[in-house]
Amino acid sequence: MANASAYRGTGFDFSNYARNSFLEKKGVPLPKATSTGTTIVGCIFKDGVVLGADTRATEGDIVADKNCEKIHYITENIRCCGAGTAADTEFTTAMISSNMELHSLSTGRIPRVVTAMTMLKQYLFRYQGHVGAALVLGGVDSTGSHLFTIAPHGSADKLPYVTMGSGSLAAMAVFESGWKPNMDRQEALNLVVAAVSAGIFNDLGSGSNVDTCVITKDHTEMLRNYRKPNERVQKENTYKFRRGTTAWTKEKIRELVVDETVVPLPHPVSAGGDAMDTS
Amino acid sequence: MLRTRIAFLSRVTALVRKFSNTGYDSELRNAHDELEEDGCSGAMWGSSAGFGNLCKGLPRFNLPTVPDPAAFLRLHTDDRADPSCRIKIQHGTTTLAFRFRGGVIVAVDSRATAGSYIASGTVRKVIEINKFLLGTMAGGAADCQYWETYLGMQCRLYELRNRERISVAAASKYLANLVYSYKGMGLSMGTMICGWDKTGPAVYYVDNDGTRLKGDLFSVGSGSTFAYGVLDQGYHWDLTDSEAQELGRRSIYAAGHRDAFSGNTINLYHIKEDGWKFIGNYDVTKMHYDGPGDIPGATGGGYGYDVRTSSSTVVVP
Amino acid sequence: MQRQFNPYTENGGTILAIAGADFAVIAGDTRQTEGFNIQTRYAPKVFRLTDKAVLAVNGFAADGNMFVKKVKQRLEWYRHAHAKDMPLRAIARLIQTMLYAQRFFPYYVYNILGGIEDDGSGAVYSFDPVGSYERETCRAAGAAQQLVQPFLDNQIYFKNQVPPPGVAGGHPTHLPLDRVLSIVTDSFTSATERHIEVGDGLELYVVLAKGRSPQGLEGLRAAHVREVTGHTDGERVFVINQELKKD
Repeated sequence: MANASAYRGTGFDFSNYARNSFLEKKGVPLPKATSTGTTIVGCIFKDGVVLGADTRATEGDIVADKNCEKIHYITENIRCCGAGTAADTEFTTAMISSNMELHSLSTGRIPRVVTAMTMLKQYLFRYQGHVGAALVLGGVDSTGSHLFTIAPHGSADKLPYVTMGSGSLAAMAVFESGWKPNMDRQEALNLVVAAVSAGIFNDLGSGSNVDTCVITKDHTEMLRNYRKPNERVQKENTYKFRRGTTAWTKEKIRELVVDETVVPLPHPVSAGGDAMDTS
Repeated sequence: MLRTRIAFLSRVTALVRKFSNTGYDSELRNAHDELEEDGCSGAMWGSSAGFGNLCKGLPRFNLPTVPDPAAFLRLHTDDRADPSCRIKIQHGTTTLAFRFRGGVIVAVDSRATAGSYIASGTVRKVIEINKFLLGTMAGGAADCQYWETYLGMQCRLYELRNRERISVAAASKYLANLVYSYKGMGLSMGTMICGWDKTGPAVYYVDNDGTRLKGDLFSVGSGSTFAYGVLDQGYHWDLTDSEAQELGRRSIYAAGHRDAFSGNTINLYHIKEDGWKFIGNYDVTKMHYDGPGDIPGATGGGYGYDVRTSSSTVVVP
Repeated sequence: MQRQFNPYTENGGTILAIAGADFAVIAGDTRQTEGFNIQTRYAPKVFRLTDKAVLAVNGFAADGNMFVKKVKQRLEWYRHAHAKDMPLRAIARLIQTMLYAQRFFPYYVYNILGGIEDDGSGAVYSFDPVGSYERETCRAAGAAQQLVQPFLDNQIYFKNQVPPPGVAGGHPTHLPLDRVLSIVTDSFTSATERHIEVGDGLELYVVLAKGRSPQGLEGLRAAHVREVTGHTDGERVFVINQELKKD
C-alpha cells in the first residue's frame, strides 16, 4: 500500500470534521484546548518597546499552568505575546519565527517588525479565525519602534499602547490613565507591570506572575517573572503517607537482572569432501 | 371512604385550576399568591415545619410565571437532555424488593450521581414510612424523600381516623394518585412500597407516570438489569430467611459491580409480620474481595475477586 | 433559536463543612464572581442561624441570600412560638420543605447546614437544590467541589488508606478541632491555587457543643478569631477570617 500521507496536500486535515460535528450533536463534547485566558500588553517608550504578560493558563475554570510563558521569541529584536488557544499561539509564533530567520538569512538584513506583522496577519486571515491566536507584536528595527495587535481573524492595529486577552479591559484602563509619550525605561516598565497586575487581580482568566520584555535598538532584555505577587502559601499540614497505606492483593518480586549462560552449539562435523567450496 | 374520595377530587380540580395559566382564575391566583407568598401564611408558624396545616390538603408549590412551567424546569434541571444544565438533580440507582414465604426483602445501593460525578456514597435509599412500611428511592432523591415522608404522615392520619393500620395497597394507591396529579410537571420517582398487612407480605411498584403494579419481585434503577439477572436465577417462593437476605445482597452487589451509577454500600431490610428490621450495611468493594463477613446466608469468601483471578494465576519462573 | 426565561446565574465560590465529635466547622470563601469578573471580594456565604446552627449557601447568590433570609425568618417565628431555638435536625427538615416548596421553580442553591445536635454531637447536613438531604461527617459543595471532596474523602473518611497495623479500631471516626481546622485551611488554599473562582478570603465558623472548651482554636496561623455567640451558657460560635490569594 502506498503511503497516503505522501500524496496529501499541506495544511489542516479536516477528515474528522464531519465525525466530530456529528458527535457534538449527539452530546459528546470535543476535548477543550488549553486556553490562555490572558492579560497581554505592550507599550512604546522613548527608546523602544515594553511587552508584558501574566503567566496563568486555564482549562475552563481550572488553572492548567501557574507559570507559563506567553512572550514568544520571533527574532532577536522582535517578540510576540500570545493570547487565545495556547497551541495556536505557540505554533503560529514558532512558525513565523522560523520564516523570519530564513527571510533575514536570505536578505542579509535585520528583519523588520512590519514583516512579522504582515506574515502573521496573512496567515491568520487565511484560516478565517480558526487559528485562535490573539497577538501583541512588538520590536525595534531600522525604521524605529513598532507595536501591533493582531486579532485571530487577521486584522492588525498599530498603536502606542495595546492590550489583549480576557484581562485587556482591566489593563487598558491602566494605560488610558497612566500612559504618556516619551516615558523612560523604568516608567514604561512600571506602567506595564501595573497594567498586567490589573489583569491578574481583576480578571479570573489571568493570574500568577508578571513577565516583561524590554526591547531597545541594540538590546533585548527578557525579564521572566519580573514580579511574583502570588507566591504559593505554606500548607498547614504535611501530607505524607505511611509505607503500606495503599491496599494490595498480591505481591510478586521479579529479578530484573538475569544471569544467563550461553552454551555454544558444537561445530558442524565436516562429512568427508562434502564441505562447501568457498574458494 | 367516600369522604376521602371527594376530598381527593376537589383537590384535583384545585390543582387543574392552579396549573392553568389563563383567564380570571389565574389572575386571582396570582393576587392570592402575592398575599400568601410564603412569608405570611399561618401554616408557616410554630412547628408545622412547612408541611402546612394538614386539614388544608396538599402543600402549595410556587410556579415560574412562564407559559410552560414544565419546559422551564426541564431546561434547567434535566441533565440527560443537557449535561451543562445548572441544577443537577441526583440520579442513578439500583433498588430491589421481593416477596417470599418469610416476608419481604428490600435491598438498595447507596450511590447518588450528578452527571458523571459521584455526589454521595452514603445515601439512604430506603425510606422508613412507618414501622410496617418501607419505600425505596430511585429517580429524583428529593421527590422520593419528600413524598414518602408526606405519605408517612397521611398513613398516620389514616390510622388515627380508622383505628387500623393502612394496607400496603391503599398506601401505594395514595402515592400513585398523588404523583398522577402532578403528571407531566417533571417529578421523577420509581419506588417500591413494601410492607406487611392483613393480606401478608406485599410489594407495589409506583412511578411518576402514575403506574402502580402489584407483584412478587421488582428491581428499579439504572442497575436493575444486573440485579434482575441474579435475582431471577435465585428466586423462589420457599426461600429461607437467610437465603433470601443473601439473594438480595448478592443482586445489589452484581449491580454495584457492573453499573457505574450504582455501588458504594448496600442497605438490607427484612419485613416480617411484626414490622421491618434493618439487617445491615455492606460495602460493595469489601464484598468483592472478602465477602459480607460472617452473617447468616453468606457463603464465605469474596463474591468476585477470587472467582475472577484464581484460574488465571500465571507462574513466572 | 428561541429566547428563554433564564433567571439563574452561577456565582462561583466553594463551601465546606466538617463535623467533629463535639463541634462543627463550616467554611466558605468570600469571592463572588460572574463569568471572568469578580463582583466582590467579600460576600459572605456562611451564616449563623442560631447558637447551634450555621448555614452555608452556594450557587446563585441572589437565590442564596433570599433563602437564608427566609430561613432566618422562620426560625425567628419558631422562637416566638416556642421560646427556644429550633433543634438542628428540625432546621434540616425545615430547609428540605422550604426547598421542595420551590420544586417547580427551584432555588439554584446548594446548602450545607452544620452545628450541634440536641445530644451534643457535631453534625453536618447537605442538601441538593430541591431538598433531598442527608446527615454526613463532611461535605464540600460549589465550584471546587470536585477538587476538595476527594481530598476530604481521603483525609476525613480515610478512603483508600489502610489503617496502620496494631492500632485498635483502625481509623478514628472523628478528628480533633486543630486537625480539622488545618485541613479546612489547606483545602481552601489548594482550591485557590487551581480554581479561578475561588479566592480572596476564607470565612470559617466553628460551633462548639455546650460546655466544650475552645481548645484547638489558638493554634491558627495569621488568623483573626471572633466570638459571635448569642446566649451565654449554651453552644458557642466563633468566626475566623483568613486571607486567600487574590489573583
